[in-house]
Amino acid sequence: MRKAVAFLLIAFICIAGVAAGGSGEGGSGDTYKIGFIGPLTGDNANYGIRCSNAAKLAISEINAAGGIGGKQLELIAEDSEGTVDKALASYEKLAYMDEVCAIIGPVFTSPALAVAQRCQEDGIVMISPSATHKDVTAQPATNADGLNYVFRTVPSDALQSEVAGHYFYEVLGYRNLASLYAMNDYSQGLALGMKETFEALGGKVVAEETCMVGDKDFRTQLTQIKAANPEAIYIPNYTVEDAQILEQAAQLGVAVQFLSSDGFSDPEIYNLAPDFTDGVVYVGPAQAEASSILTDFQAAYGEAYNGDAPDSFATNSYDATYIIAGAIERAGSADTKAIRDEVAATKDFQGANGIMNFAANGDLVASQGVYEVDGITPVYVGSFQVVDGHIVQVD
Amino acid sequence: MSTLTLYMQYIVNGLTLGAIYSLIALGYTMVYGILKFINFAHGDILMVGAFIGLLVYTALTGDAAPGAWTLSAFFIAMLVSMIACAILGMLIERIAYKPLRNANRLAPLLSAIGVSFILSNGAAWIFGTQSRRFPYPFENDPIHIGSITITPHQIVVIVVSVAMMLLLTFFVNRTRMGKAMRATSLDQSTSQLMGINVNRVISLTFAIGSALAAVGGILAAFDFRVYPSMGTMTGLKAFVAAVIGGIGNIQGAMIGGVLLGILEAVGAPLLHIPNGMKDTVAFAVLIIVLLVKPDGILGKNEREKV
Repeated sequence: MRKAVAFLLIAFICIAGVAAGGSGEGGSGDTYKIGFIGPLTGDNANYGIRCSNAAKLAISEINAAGGIGGKQLELIAEDSEGTVDKALASYEKLAYMDEVCAIIGPVFTSPALAVAQRCQEDGIVMISPSATHKDVTAQPATNADGLNYVFRTVPSDALQSEVAGHYFYEVLGYRNLASLYAMNDYSQGLALGMKETFEALGGKVVAEETCMVGDKDFRTQLTQIKAANPEAIYIPNYTVEDAQILEQAAQLGVAVQFLSSDGFSDPEIYNLAPDFTDGVVYVGPAQAEASSILTDFQAAYGEAYNGDAPDSFATNSYDATYIIAGAIERAGSADTKAIRDEVAATKDFQGANGIMNFAANGDLVASQGVYEVDGITPVYVGSFQVVDGHIVQVD
Repeated sequence: MSTLTLYMQYIVNGLTLGAIYSLIALGYTMVYGILKFINFAHGDILMVGAFIGLLVYTALTGDAAPGAWTLSAFFIAMLVSMIACAILGMLIERIAYKPLRNANRLAPLLSAIGVSFILSNGAAWIFGTQSRRFPYPFENDPIHIGSITITPHQIVVIVVSVAMMLLLTFFVNRTRMGKAMRATSLDQSTSQLMGINVNRVISLTFAIGSALAAVGGILAAFDFRVYPSMGTMTGLKAFVAAVIGGIGNIQGAMIGGVLLGILEAVGAPLLHIPNGMKDTVAFAVLIIVLLVKPDGILGKNEREKV
């Protein structure tokens, strides 16, 4: 019943959006409009709110410095609630009603896959700060010019799960792992990718358990994993699920090493399960070399948002905003194709995450970081890349 | 670990979950028994109960280490939350349902959905959307019995739920007001002719159901955490539990809840399918039960219902 009501509302908004659309361009007024799509309400709103806050911060900095060619930037943030249907409704509003120059987001993988297809079709630049599934940048360029419009400022899962599999096997020396992952694109993509790499090296995933995003009880899965007696458990999920998995595992006496993914880099985990995070090892974004851009961003973010700390996705979102702003400036107009060309031409961009470049398919060129949690503080182990089938520490 | 102990572990976990579903299912079933109306805002009342419980508890204890004081503070918080939710339940009934009592049957249903949105969005507005931990008011080190593990919080959940259900059973069967409730559920207009104040009975039903939801919300908070949409899925499952037990029947709601909890824990491993499908298994079994017994397990067999 609730769904039906929500659906009617969305349908109504879509109709309103189409009716109000028509002519005009994203920069035709006094501003360049940039869209944002992410979960601003719901269980995982923490990711979306931090990303949109970071984008807002970047835009207010650019505007305070005089904007671009005398025009101000404007961020229009839409709430996807982390779902595909809401994200598509948001996309339609941004693309057809607001006629934005470019879109930051969507934050989650499933909505990003759906919106990426539309961006490729309509020819609007999309930069996701956080959608890591390998297929996000593999959507066919269905626009008239056959150009790629989808980019991201977060490394692809393909890279993350490959480094994870090698690190667990070669560096940590595990041979038997279990995994417990949510049946969504993000977690499943990582778990299956890690398994592929890990088993190709000669290891074995002895128990593969699944759950749904939003599940609260993982005791059945953990009991099964306990019975399979693995050396470590890989939990590439979002913080809410990971927090409960760690806590319930401790309650069930599952005393083995836990391994996780970049979802674990959200500090929210330390509010939700502070007593259970000690010793967790996770593969996440490679830490940027300490740069003044990063520390300035973190300080400005804390000041703007009541001392809150930005997570790695928020940092990516901040960089994405500056990349788009730079592209608009060089393009000198709100023409979406000109902006795309400039985003694609981004070379050695100096961001909060260090020096950034895009591959031809829109993926970020990057290495991966490994972290080990000490109490409630992640300690950086180092940056790693897989070279010629073996893991290599980069710094 | 042998298969037997494995399944016993699943059942312990399922019982904890089931006890919570039962408590919440009681609210649906009592209101349905009297008004033939599904109170869709019930799930959100459990969320409000969890928030009030958490606020009162943290205000009382601060950062105190678990001990006798935190345990008493926990029960004080539960009591305050029960009273607050009872009042909230009565208010909602008075404002949103009573004026529609003689309207089309769909009208109060839509009104309930409206109330549900107001409560969950209101909570999101006031408290923000992030999940919050409910700290354990006692040392929660797991207890090992053979190779089965149970935590003190699971024991508290089960004991408090059973105590609440016993209290309710006593109230409905052994007190004058309980008798009035049973009479009203059988025949409202005749009860009124017999001198029963039906409005008061209805108010009381909402108060009791909401107070039980508050307890359910606080007990669920340990495992589920506290956030504005926590009542949606939990409420839906409790509603299903009420239907499966035979909606309108108090014992049915208790049985339905426990059954659903155990099905969720045991269903997927028993059928060797991925655990991500556990809700699918639980709901599929429930459909089968309904096909065999459309009125639910205890539906219609009982003369007395509330």
